[in-house]
Amino acid sequence: MLSPIQSASFSPVLANVSSKAAELFAKDGVMGFITNSTLVALCVLGIVLWFARKATKNMSLIPHKAQNFFEFIIEFLYGQVVNIIGAKQAKLAFPLLGTLFIYILVSNWFGLLPGVGTIGWGESTGFLSVKAAHDPLLRPPTADLNATAGIALSAFLVWLFLTIKEVGVWGFIVHTFGPKGGLKGVVGLIVALVFIFVGVIEIVSIAIRPLTLSIRLFGNIFAGENVLHIMSDMMNTKGPVMSFLGSVALPLPFYFMELLVGLLQAIVFTLLCSVYIQLSTTHDDHSHEEEGDHH
Amino acid sequence: MITSLPTILAAGKVDALVEKFGLAWPKFFAQVIIFWIVFSILKKYAFGPILGMLEQRRQRIADGEAKLEKITKDAAEAAKNSQAILDKAEADAARLVKEADEASKALQERRQQDAVASANSILAKAREAAELEKEQLMSQLKREFGRMVADATSRVTGKVLNTDDQARLNQETAAQVSA
Repeated sequence: MLSPIQSASFSPVLANVSSKAAELFAKDGVMGFITNSTLVALCVLGIVLWFARKATKNMSLIPHKAQNFFEFIIEFLYGQVVNIIGAKQAKLAFPLLGTLFIYILVSNWFGLLPGVGTIGWGESTGFLSVKAAHDPLLRPPTADLNATAGIALSAFLVWLFLTIKEVGVWGFIVHTFGPKGGLKGVVGLIVALVFIFVGVIEIVSIAIRPLTLSIRLFGNIFAGENVLHIMSDMMNTKGPVMSFLGSVALPLPFYFMELLVGLLQAIVFTLLCSVYIQLSTTHDDHSHEEEGDHH
Repeated sequence: MITSLPTILAAGKVDALVEKFGLAWPKFFAQVIIFWIVFSILKKYAFGPILGMLEQRRQRIADGEAKLEKITKDAAEAAKNSQAILDKAEADAARLVKEADEASKALQERRQQDAVASANSILAKAREAAELEKEQLMSQLKREFGRMVADATSRVTGKVLNTDDQARLNQETAAQVSA
């Protein structure tokens, strides 16, 4: 005889987390690009835009609640960005950095909503019940490498645009490969060779930035999803009551941790992008000196 | 064990990774487009107005502070001016009081002098009047004495005195009275 919990259609059903997003339509069809993470990305888009619209509608010097909250976030972010990259670059880079933070944070936290990753398709065990949701309906975009790579590449392109705009192509090359310290003669030549080698390493480091950014974000959020699922499944073999209680109680502390991780990863991604912009748009001291000499 | 990049590429592990993580250009571009839509709309309709509002509020606060500073400065200036006006008024008042005091003293002195002069004049006039009255009385007295002497003489002597006798008696009597 089945217990009430076993017979209930809402009994906790948790899937092993797949490393890739599941297609919601035929894989080879026109709509094959729409995955569960694309769906959540569209939801995140909707949420962010709805809130932005709510916050910026009927704006006044004495702000209403939504405006006040949005102003608080943006003012805080803008202050941090100005501290890192300076007021001049902040005006250009803030739209990207602000979007990165908000989009990643909402995406990360969206993954913690009940039903995300647990409602979907799998081996049926009864009415509206599956053994495991192998193809969940919803998946946070930041747990899909396509999304994190897309975000990282977008950030990289904006970084490249800002860098070239600020220092120019030649300035970037000089900044990367140019010897520093002003040494001359044989020692200067040796130092120049060392700096050329360092410049090559720097180029490699720059080239793999989108990769490191995207994998770091994906890895953390994907790992968080796995932790939550594993903790939820841990009591599955201890009977229906213990399984139900375990699936509620055991992941609970990790939900708080994941809230923190979600925030932290949004901050890390944004801060790293800010630092990359700061590093490449800062003029070298000797350049200033030379400019001063010319003037 | 760390595998080098060329080894991974040679072993076709990239394809395996792509397959494992479901990397595909259409999915990738879909995510990129969604992100850029969020970016574009936030940039135009959220960050712009919010940063504008923050700047407007900052400007307003700065203006308020500047106005407050100006008001404080003006108040200090006004206090300084009013103090100067008060000091000047006080000095003017003191000067006026002093002038009034001096004027009153001068007037008092002048009036006193006038009073003394007037009194002297009155005294002189009184003396003159008294002298005149005395003289008149003396004249009248002399005439009366002369008439009485002449009358007494005519009665005693039973002789009617002529004009010369009367004149001589009058002179003698007046001389006697005057002495």
